[in-house]
Amino acid sequence: MAQKKRYGFVIDISRCIDCRACMVACSVENKVPNNHTRIWVHDLGVKGEYPNLSRTFVPYNCMHCENPPCTQVCVSGATYKDPTNGLVLVDQEACIGCGYCVEACPYNARYLDEKRGVVDKCNGCIQRVYVGLKPACVATCLGGARMFGDLNDPTSEVSVALSKAGTIHVIDYEKGRVDTEPNIYYVNVPVLTRIDTVNDNTRQPINLPRDPHYTIAEEGWKKVLVPFIGAALGGTFLVQAVYFTKQLIEGEKEFDE
Amino acid sequence: MSHEVTRRDFLKMGAAAAGALALGQFIPPRVAKAARQLDVVDANGDGYIPTMCEMCVWRCGVLAKVVNGRVVKLEGNPEHPHSLGRLCARGQSGLMNTYDPDRVLTPLVRVGKRGEGKFREATWDEALDIVSKNMLSIKQQYGPEAMVFSSTHNISQVQFENLLSGFGSPNYGTQRSLCFNAMIVANLMTYGMEEPNRDYSQVKYIILTGRNLVEAISTSETSALMDAIGRGVKMVYLDPRFTKTASKAAEWYPIRPGTDLAFHLALINVIIAEERYNKDFITKYTTGFDELKTAVQTYTPEWAAPITGINAEVIRRIAREFSDAGQYALAHNGWRTSNFINSFPAERAITILNALVGNWGVTMFPAAGEASGGLGTPPQPPYPRVSALRLDGVPWKYPFVPLKLGIFQQMREAIIEGKPYQAHGWFISRQNPVLSLPDRQRTLDAMGKLDFIVTIDIIMNDTSWFSDVVLPEASYLERFDPLLPVGNRVFVRQPVIEAQGEARSALWIYKELGKRLGLGDFFQYKDEEDYLAQQLAPLGKSVEEVRTKGYIDLPEGKQDNLFTWSTPSGKIEISSSTLKAGKFDPVPVWQEPLQPKDGAFYLLTGKVGQHTQMGTQNNLLLHKYQDEPRLWMNPEAAAKLGLKDWDLVEAASQVGVLRVALKVTSAIRPDCVYLTPGFGHLSKGLRTAYGVGASDSVLHETYVDPISGGQALSQTFVTVKKV
Repeated sequence: MAQKKRYGFVIDISRCIDCRACMVACSVENKVPNNHTRIWVHDLGVKGEYPNLSRTFVPYNCMHCENPPCTQVCVSGATYKDPTNGLVLVDQEACIGCGYCVEACPYNARYLDEKRGVVDKCNGCIQRVYVGLKPACVATCLGGARMFGDLNDPTSEVSVALSKAGTIHVIDYEKGRVDTEPNIYYVNVPVLTRIDTVNDNTRQPINLPRDPHYTIAEEGWKKVLVPFIGAALGGTFLVQAVYFTKQLIEGEKEFDE
Repeated sequence: MSHEVTRRDFLKMGAAAAGALALGQFIPPRVAKAARQLDVVDANGDGYIPTMCEMCVWRCGVLAKVVNGRVVKLEGNPEHPHSLGRLCARGQSGLMNTYDPDRVLTPLVRVGKRGEGKFREATWDEALDIVSKNMLSIKQQYGPEAMVFSSTHNISQVQFENLLSGFGSPNYGTQRSLCFNAMIVANLMTYGMEEPNRDYSQVKYIILTGRNLVEAISTSETSALMDAIGRGVKMVYLDPRFTKTASKAAEWYPIRPGTDLAFHLALINVIIAEERYNKDFITKYTTGFDELKTAVQTYTPEWAAPITGINAEVIRRIAREFSDAGQYALAHNGWRTSNFINSFPAERAITILNALVGNWGVTMFPAAGEASGGLGTPPQPPYPRVSALRLDGVPWKYPFVPLKLGIFQQMREAIIEGKPYQAHGWFISRQNPVLSLPDRQRTLDAMGKLDFIVTIDIIMNDTSWFSDVVLPEASYLERFDPLLPVGNRVFVRQPVIEAQGEARSALWIYKELGKRLGLGDFFQYKDEEDYLAQQLAPLGKSVEEVRTKGYIDLPEGKQDNLFTWSTPSGKIEISSSTLKAGKFDPVPVWQEPLQPKDGAFYLLTGKVGQHTQMGTQNNLLLHKYQDEPRLWMNPEAAAKLGLKDWDLVEAASQVGVLRVALKVTSAIRPDCVYLTPGFGHLSKGLRTAYGVGASDSVLHETYVDPISGGQALSQTFVTVKKV
């Protein structure tokens, strides 16, 4: 029998241009109501002193975690992690719309569709994947930032991208919360970029779900579980991770000022 | 268990398809039937139909997913060189243009005062009778030239031009003078072509001058640029704003507005002084190098530094790096550089910079353009002779502006002034001059001078709002347009769903109107498909083939010599013989741009990746994911004025005042402010877009570049205060 699939996303941060084609494509493909979204591009903002500026965009959606808190709080069993492909899915016929899972998700990647009375979120466009298509967001990504595939298959685009990557980042849980082991991996994250608490007060023209409150923790690198490249990267990876952590701490100081 | 659930999930997704069976009898007959016959959809009418996008002028190939007679998703067509399987946000949102709840789906005739927005519905017969009666009456009383025509770049424009030429009017306005006249005319002078193609596959060094390619998106070109950056190609980006393109650049320089010319003259100076140019290429393929050499002698980096605000050593280094990359270097020669009156010589300098490194045939190629591709056209009689002067002064006052570009803003001025004669009617297709022309109040004044205004559009845009008759066009997903050659293929735009309401294709509208104007002979096609068949006839291809695949391959053409140019000399003209004959500077020389007085700001214009010009703001999906359009200001400048983020401010120029929310950001020079165009709609018929943001057209002052006819969109200065 073939090895079980573990679908996940790899996102090359250096190539996201915040064009939002992914967001529109997702809304159309999945008939997302106009006051909700399943997918975000978080703008870390213009950083630095004029004219030495930088700006980084962090696309995200449901992390399809290995250890998803949402499934654990689901009272109806509608939210589950599909053992055949690793995607975290919602059976909307079984969903009673209690919204516990929306609260439980540390990434704010779920919303309650008030009209239908069910919870909705990224399903990895499984309806497309079944028929051999890429998820809508990945298929149309102009910068080539978004990749999707089977992390258990070493020849998949995502696995190859991870094996080539210098450092790999994940957006981590908040301190004090459970480690969710997310399945969106970020590569080519600029050294000085902090993927941190998202709490800018940018007013949106529409009511997107509440601001996500995820953090990348100082120990975030520890959570990256990429066994087939772990050995290869070995020491380098650790050194870079320590360096990154240092940057984060320095960044934190800067941020506090 | 979970497998079962997944299956259930899947079944639910198929619920819509199941509904299709039940509703089968309601599937609109023509489009679905044709698609079934072509085998692009199944028995239920579900499947993918190839067509072409119209959310901007890049015109990507689209595969439209159709379920139950509705289009439910658009995919980029991998077979089209402009999409290569991808669509941008606007392309992805295209079906919401078609399903916009504010669509105009029946002809409308004004019943209230102009601008009151009171219309009544009319039949096509009645509406076309009203339009033709008014047009003929104007023609009879004042001559055909008293009717002005304007339309923005689209595939059916050839039949629009046919209508106005058959009618006998010389007055043709396009959006081009508001956009890229400076680039086009500069390219024509240097290369003898409108816009050479850029190729990023071998590029090693890129200079982008005000070309915000990451936000002003041309899908395949934007992707190619990101691929190049991913390969490690160095990109130098000049812009007074730190745009998203700037965030991807190796080096960003917030150049002083209006001084791109000085920067490029200095690059040329270094490359010539240090003999870093491609001598072989210059000798073989160019003319006028010596004149250039003399002209740029004083334009040293030290000269340019205080003008541009960029360090002399940086300019010198960039010149060296650029010439080191040689023919693998590319200075992007588009689109508007700084939007100043001196944009034309700036564009010329960029074309010359490319010539100096001899990148022709490596990173720059001849444009395929919109050549005929060997397609046929319906037969037609010769056009009536036109003796009247054009209102926009082309060519009698502006000899170098191509007729098909024109000077739109000058045409508006002539309508107001009634010189050289008074215009009386305006025929507008798929265009929104109320928001696109500078100085909005003056555009409304011009409309007030006219007896009759008719607009063709799919929604009640701001210009339709002030029109007497509005004719509803079918959206790009509902109609045929003429076939379009792109590269070595010819692509089709075809209906993927039945046109809603009474909406009709432009091909149909022009033909029916032509008949009533006594111009039936100019429209010798039975219907849209017949038009396509006549186009395909010389190629021996069938309409079915192009409709099934979305394109046909053109026969291998004779390869033109890569190294000939349609200039008077047949070479790349560093010194332009045409300009010399017209007594203009034949090589670019420095022209100091206007500067704001103390306390005033440059008002910059630009683009965002989620909208196209003035036409997409009512699209609910783009509205959903757009940023609130605010006036950008540097924190230093805001502090001086005591302004905070989100303050409501008043911005005033010589010609207008507007109110808008402030965005305080270090992503802009302290002496500039920026406003995204396309917001601040006047039409209450746009219920999504109405009331959002403000229109920079209120503030823009009107300019005409004497050589290219271009409007200088960033040459307006504003003061800002708290409301």
